[in-house]
Amino acid sequence: MKILIVEDEPKTGDYLKQGLGEAGFVADLARDGWEGLELARTGQYDVAVLDVMLPGLDGWQVLEGMRRAGLETPVLFLTARDQVEDRVKGLELGADDYLVKPFAFAELLARVRNLARRGRAALEPTVLKVADLELDLLRRRASRAGQRVDLTAKEFALLELFMRRQGEVLPRSLIASQVWDMNFDSDTNVIDVAVRRLRVKVDEGYAPRLIHTVRGMGYVLEAEGGAGRDETRP
Amino acid sequence: MKPLSLTARISLLFAVAVSMVLLAAGMYLARAVEMHFVESDRHELEGKLELIRHLLERARLPGDMDRLPGQLDDALVGHHGLAVAVMNGGGAVWYITSGSGIHQDLLDARTCGDGPLELACLPHGLWQWRVGDRDYRGRVVPMTTGDGEIHRVAVSLDIRHHEVFMARFRLTLALAMTLAALATAGLGWYATHRGLGALRQFSGLAAGISAERLTTRLPEAGIPPELRDLARSFNAMLARLDDSFRRLSEFSSDIAHELRTPISNLMTQTQVALSRAREPEAYQEVLQSSTEEYERLGRMIGDMLFLAKADNDQLTLSREAVDLEMEARALIEFHGIVAEEKGVGLRLEGAGLVSGDRLMLRRALSNLLSNGTRHCPVGGEVAIRVGGGPGETVIAVENPGAIPPDRLPRLFDRFYTGDPARQAGAGGVGLGLAIARSIVQVHGGTLTAHSEGGVTRFEIRLPTPA
Repeated sequence: MKILIVEDEPKTGDYLKQGLGEAGFVADLARDGWEGLELARTGQYDVAVLDVMLPGLDGWQVLEGMRRAGLETPVLFLTARDQVEDRVKGLELGADDYLVKPFAFAELLARVRNLARRGRAALEPTVLKVADLELDLLRRRASRAGQRVDLTAKEFALLELFMRRQGEVLPRSLIASQVWDMNFDSDTNVIDVAVRRLRVKVDEGYAPRLIHTVRGMGYVLEAEGGAGRDETRP
Repeated sequence: MKPLSLTARISLLFAVAVSMVLLAAGMYLARAVEMHFVESDRHELEGKLELIRHLLERARLPGDMDRLPGQLDDALVGHHGLAVAVMNGGGAVWYITSGSGIHQDLLDARTCGDGPLELACLPHGLWQWRVGDRDYRGRVVPMTTGDGEIHRVAVSLDIRHHEVFMARFRLTLALAMTLAALATAGLGWYATHRGLGALRQFSGLAAGISAERLTTRLPEAGIPPELRDLARSFNAMLARLDDSFRRLSEFSSDIAHELRTPISNLMTQTQVALSRAREPEAYQEVLQSSTEEYERLGRMIGDMLFLAKADNDQLTLSREAVDLEMEARALIEFHGIVAEEKGVGLRLEGAGLVSGDRLMLRRALSNLLSNGTRHCPVGGEVAIRVGGGPGETVIAVENPGAIPPDRLPRLFDRFYTGDPARQAGAGGVGLGLAIARSIVQVHGGTLTAHSEGGVTRFEIRLPTPA
């Protein structure tokens, strides 16, 4: 998976490159619009992350240049200015997604993976499996080690999200948006409570534990709890 | 072109109006004097003609006619500028006053308007004409003498002294009028200047008002009634400005304060962590704690930007039909998870449609709901009631629990949290209600808080086009 980052702010650029690199992407970093466009034309990237405010060509112009050159690379925009017009302009020019600074890195990662998945015809599985946890999407049934697990509709949707994106840290805002369609920052701890309840149904009394808290970032479902994954204190 | 000052405008208008009136009066006056002169000339000429007619009628015998010139001379003696000519039937001048100003052309004239003299017609059959630089009035009439012979008698009056008088009179009049107009303009200027003194006092006071002195007010007593409304609205504007400014200053200092705490935490813990070598877990701990702090900061900045945009009318609304029942149900499903944990019920009554930005309205309602859930006692119930009348939709969020009346108006202030000891965790920084209110206001509605009988009620009123 190759990813292009075009970002002029040195620290941001470096950390994005490092973070995405460690997340398993091959990341190239361009410091200005001209260089970014040049790399995009030659590099065969799966995803491009563009900052809007760039020296030389701005992000919009880079995107235009890419589309004119016939590149279909999915593009995610980063911007410090949350203007609706910006968003509309980006979508008109053919941007695929949009993040406002400051953003959570887990959020960026989730969205980049989402874009990278696009354009790859994936066979829609009807049953999702992680370890001994199974989710039958057609019959809307969940089971752990062969035991039926009763879930509410929202718990089912939450678990489906976790399993489809197993191994990815999902930030609370992404979960709120995907499962409850709440696309704004809410000051409640609904997500924590919901995940805790799901964990009681799915993990309680089973091994290994599958749902992990990544402190400061969000939640992840995986069979192996990696570094920095601490079990929440109930 | 610079607009004229009010004083100049009023004095000019005044001067023009007065000049018009004076001009009309002057013209009327000159005309009247002129008419009077014409009238007196006619009177005099008629008198003379009557005398001549009388003398001619009495001349029956040939001897009488011989005596006539002498009689005419006697009759006309002492009349300056009056001249008489009598012509017999053959057209020969039979008598003419000595040194007479009667022009030969007059003798041939039959009606006014003809002949080389260009006789002008005056009322009552009088003629006026000009010879050289002198003006005359007079006429020619046929008369029959006692012996039945027809004569033509011409009388003329030199009106030069009238004309001189009239010219002088007109000049005097024009002079007087010009002076009067100037005087009026001056007086008008003075009066206006005096009258507008209160206004100047106003602007002087207004000029002295600055951000530091927004508490100054214009006096509302002892000023002319026309300016009282102005003073009132001006003072009201100052009061509003003062209030907004005060809030803004408080907001700024609150921002600084709110940012200072997390930044200071971050600095301290990071520097402590760096002060000596540690286990990896300790570093992880610091970074995890930092990232939570950063999330809070990021959210706060986002919320503050949202409020700033709302204040400056920079929020772009996407207008669509919003089904309040559906929105409320989705929110209840979301917040219900936390409410249930806490032992609080959530209930929805009623339904309604409004036009607005679905995401924003959902956010406003969400903030009210989480606020209600947070302050609802265990075992209580938060109710969303949707209703309304003609042209208005009311969405109320109620929860048991009272708020002291002095705290009600401050609820929507930014960073205001009812309890000084802020609840940790449920990451409100006191912007939720302010954001809800901003959202409702950009939709042209109002959001108010009431607390009666142990129930706190937040009310959104949105205009609904009929």
